[in-house]
Amino acid sequence: MAPARVIQGQLTRLSRTTHGIAYDTTNDEIIAPNPLAAAVVIFRGGATGEEPPVRTIQGARTGLSRPETVAVDEKNNEIIVGDPGDRRVLVYQRTADGNAAPIRTIQGARTKLLQVVGVAVDPVRDVLVVSTYSRLPGGLTGLLIFGRTDQGDVAPKRVIAGPKTGITRLRQIALDPETGKIYVAAINNEYLPPYSIDKPRAGLDPDVELPSPWNTGSEGFIGVWDDVADDGDVPPRSLIKGRSTGIVHPAGVTFNAKHGEVIAPDAVWNGLFTFLKPELFKGTAAGTR
Amino acid sequence: MRHRTITSCALVAGVCLVVPGRRPSIEDMFVTTSLAAEETEGTMCLMPDGVDGPPVDGHYRPVSPSPDGGQQIAIPKSSNEGGDLPPVRMVVDPYPSFNGITVDTTNDLLMMSDTNRKSLLVYDRTAGSATSKEAAVPRLQIMGPDTGVGFVAGVAMDPGHRELFTVNNDVEDRLVVFDYDARGNIKPKRLLYVPHQSWGIAFAPRRDVLALSVQTPNMFVVFNREAKKFDAPVRSVRGPKTQMADPHGIYFDETHNEVVVANHGNFRPGELITAYTAYDARESRQERGGDTVDENARGRFLPSSVTVFDGDANGDVAPLRVIQGPLSQIDWPMGVAVDEVNNEIIVANNGDNSILVFPRKASGDVPPRRVIRGPLTGVKGPMGVAIAKDEIYVANFGDHTALVFPRLAAGNVRPRRTIRNAPAGRETSGFGNPYSVAYDTKRQEILVPN
Repeated sequence: MAPARVIQGQLTRLSRTTHGIAYDTTNDEIIAPNPLAAAVVIFRGGATGEEPPVRTIQGARTGLSRPETVAVDEKNNEIIVGDPGDRRVLVYQRTADGNAAPIRTIQGARTKLLQVVGVAVDPVRDVLVVSTYSRLPGGLTGLLIFGRTDQGDVAPKRVIAGPKTGITRLRQIALDPETGKIYVAAINNEYLPPYSIDKPRAGLDPDVELPSPWNTGSEGFIGVWDDVADDGDVPPRSLIKGRSTGIVHPAGVTFNAKHGEVIAPDAVWNGLFTFLKPELFKGTAAGTR
Repeated sequence: MRHRTITSCALVAGVCLVVPGRRPSIEDMFVTTSLAAEETEGTMCLMPDGVDGPPVDGHYRPVSPSPDGGQQIAIPKSSNEGGDLPPVRMVVDPYPSFNGITVDTTNDLLMMSDTNRKSLLVYDRTAGSATSKEAAVPRLQIMGPDTGVGFVAGVAMDPGHRELFTVNNDVEDRLVVFDYDARGNIKPKRLLYVPHQSWGIAFAPRRDVLALSVQTPNMFVVFNREAKKFDAPVRSVRGPKTQMADPHGIYFDETHNEVVVANHGNFRPGELITAYTAYDARESRQERGGDTVDENARGRFLPSSVTVFDGDANGDVAPLRVIQGPLSQIDWPMGVAVDEVNNEIIVANNGDNSILVFPRKASGDVPPRRVIRGPLTGVKGPMGVAIAKDEIYVANFGDHTALVFPRLAAGNVRPRRTIRNAPAGRETSGFGNPYSVAYDTKRQEILVPN
């Protein structure tokens, strides 16, 4: 089926490399990072065609290097950006525009931030959740839970990581403030070492055959954790996983709380999957939300 | 959207594929369902064991197994922790989506990459027609987990050595090479690991090299044709003088010894570019620069452009010419080709669904000599473009077609031939390796960036 509408073209200031997106229900806006231009662009909710963003965060004061992922805190009027280029989480006023400085930045060795690929905020419980991964020595792959207003080189309050989580590599996360549930896209595919032009894949056996991330590693899944109660190496409280689901390596996740649905794109299938999980949402099973 | 999605699934109950008992790998399942699409209609539904038909009020109806099992596949239940539930809706396009395009005039062949089903398709050069509503039959299709063909973009053919090339733009980070007679799920004869976000391929037969455009570092690299595995490029063109910004299409014009590159315009300076794959932040700016990180470095949006370099360019060198600006109408240019005989540059202008034709020596903010644009043209999300035998070939990503125009076509004109990879009227999702999603509660729409 064809999309209902498409936002594209150079006036949009989007790139065709966009790994994050957020929708602001309160203000009816779409927020997307542009990692290739070190920018975050904000559109009106009904944007279509080659429509320019209503605001663009970009410039030296912004601290943006390679923004990958975004979230919006509608209660506190803030936009949260995960930037693995500088291993930072940056927080802006929701209405920030142009060369605007972040109001808070989380960065440094204590933070455990590495490849930051997901951010989510719970303004009810005042926590900020970050998904990060790395196979660097000592690197951590999992969820880091900070205080919502934490800043600087601060340690996370809790870390959800380890073999019991089932996560070997993860991407986008979503958070439902009504329940405190964190939805995690555990893509779990293999990944390749970085490419250096002068010495491609230096240190690898020249005869080694690198795996295709098309379908390797562990089976991917959507996992659900609690943003306050869960800590350490704990399994997900709920799972969407297995051959019946159709998903292989899901990279994204969101939800439609009103209808009790969890939604995930899958890179292998190049498709979009919707699952009915009303038990995860407050009051939705009875249709009261 | 919700209603539309449900409606779409309801229309295609005949495609839903069920056979309990067999347990093929997910790769087999992927290939099987893709091939099966040729004999089925519409959007694909995958159903779990023991159910058939679209969901009704969110519930599947159990049915008995299919008696023949011919085209059908199983989706085995996994022995996992209890989350093995079927989707209530899915949007998966079972047909190919064309991306890169190239023509072999020696053997009268046309090859295109398929991003959606992860394949290479080779047709007769004159395949398609002005009126047919049916999918054209390819001479061959290379597809499957052994091929290394994934999220592919650029393509090239070498009739001299009878080799086919395609490069993976994302995920796989590799260029794969096949013989002309390769078919199906076959291992590539050579495999070359390439920089992440390599997009376009330009083959230069006299030099026997391949030039690849690479998005993130704003560069192109040149490899020997026979490079394999971890071989390094023989040279690269990168740096602020090049004026490249998020390059995509690339063409090596050996007649005039020039390399032509199409740029979207997203730019990050070298200070912000770290050793990068999609998979590991092995190096951050702080690790590379210590305390000397330039915090004044910033990203910029440049107007989309076409940059032309000397064919022997190496390092941080300025282009010979740049076509850029509002008069040029260049807007997210994808594929680019040069008519070396008639001295013209042809651009697949993805941003506004058009094909632009410039004089080869055009420079600055100049209007195109000809534009193919309008509803009659069928140009929709053009990705690849090629020129051969006085015809312009266009690979559409926005629907299931490739188009062929006379070389001098201009304006809102119908194509001479249409090559379909699905029956007429089949829509495409437009997905290109979706990695995130959001839900618009106001419009009940699902937002998917690509």
